[in-house]
Amino acid sequence: MSHIHLPDGVLPVWLWVSGYVVAILVGAVLFRFIKKEDLTRRLPLLGMMAAAMVLGASVEIVPIAYHVNLTVISGILLGPSLIFLATLVVNTILALFGHGGVTVIGLNTLILSVEGILGYLLFRLFWKVLRRLTPAIFLATFLSLFASTLSMIGVVSLGASHYEELIHQERKGMFEFHFSKEKEVEHPGDVTENRVNLKRFIAIILPLGFIGWILEGVITSLIARYIHRMRPDLLRLEGKTL
Amino acid sequence: MIQLSYLDYLAVEGKSWLHRLSPKLKMIGMVFVLFFIVTLRNLPGLFLLYIILLSLFFFSRIPLKIFSLTFYPLLFAILFIFISGFQIFFILLIFLKVLCGSTGVVLLLATTPYPSIFRVLGKVLPSLFVTALFLTYRSIFILLNVFEETQHALYLRGGLQWRHPWRSLTNISNAFGHLIIQGIDASEKMYESMVLRGFKNKIHYRGE
Repeated sequence: MSHIHLPDGVLPVWLWVSGYVVAILVGAVLFRFIKKEDLTRRLPLLGMMAAAMVLGASVEIVPIAYHVNLTVISGILLGPSLIFLATLVVNTILALFGHGGVTVIGLNTLILSVEGILGYLLFRLFWKVLRRLTPAIFLATFLSLFASTLSMIGVVSLGASHYEELIHQERKGMFEFHFSKEKEVEHPGDVTENRVNLKRFIAIILPLGFIGWILEGVITSLIARYIHRMRPDLLRLEGKTL
Repeated sequence: MIQLSYLDYLAVEGKSWLHRLSPKLKMIGMVFVLFFIVTLRNLPGLFLLYIILLSLFFFSRIPLKIFSLTFYPLLFAILFIFISGFQIFFILLIFLKVLCGSTGVVLLLATTPYPSIFRVLGKVLPSLFVTALFLTYRSIFILLNVFEETQHALYLRGGLQWRHPWRSLTNISNAFGHLIIQGIDASEKMYESMVLRGFKNKIHYRGE
């Protein structure tokens, strides 16, 4: 839910190209924080966590069209730099299976890495404050998913004028390719229609998302408890836990 | 995802002309398909592209059961209908774009072995990213094996029952936890064997 399942050709070109550009810049900044030897040593772990995320994404909870992302637990295990690369890889593989288009990989990477990086940071913060594993993981997951869903809604909203254009262009030519965002004359009625449609989209996404965030929060907490029981070293926690 | 190994099998064992075509040409073809999906904005054009991809699909003698994979992304496109306010033209446009994309990708994966795809990608993308992509792809097969074993254990512990949601959640979370720990153990072993074989941040493919 918290990443874009949009096919290719739906978002405006300026938006998905910007997604790629920002993703490359963010990746370049994050990779300055990681040592080369550390990266080489942790690449197989990254591959394994990314594979777990891909498998999680393929288990669809049909009534609410939700699937677990496992991004927060992967973020906690991998750290902020590696989770970024992991989300890029996951989105590329998911795009190969039609789970979101190839052109939206950059945007999806940014949205999903918000979840992973924020999950990591919030978990460290809540752990310091609460010193209890289950509520710290649950809150970190819930809030990160909320933030990434808002980012996803923001991205979809940015393309609103483009969807309108697609809906009302039946009589236009065969090809249209705009590389830059163009200013268009908008009639007051059109704006209202745009808003109504996006409101409908948000009205569907948020309640379904809320169920999903709780579900993922519970699942991630239980997974973390299981990992803590079997391999506590993986969570790199300081001090005691309950 | 379970069909992944079957897709691989088809890509390696297939004998059609598309299987024999150079992976580089197929990847270039996929880029063109994407270009048309992004730029085409009318139904006849997209329909023609879909017909061409369907013809390629059937001429390549790919089994029909794989064809169902191309419909999977429609599940996510349904949400987009609500944005359009149920405009039939827009819905058909989106559905055709989705079907063209998924048919193109399934066609590529079912006719090209994945090391060949990664070898071509390695020439245009950073080696670190392609290595991570390769390791992830490889890890999916390892995790699928673990997942199969875990499914038996899950079944013995009650599996997933709508009448017992908490127990089901605990079971599925423990299964994922088990999957992650087994995966991490496997990744440590994989790293050791890769280092023994001289791994230094880049995987070399046959023919390089």
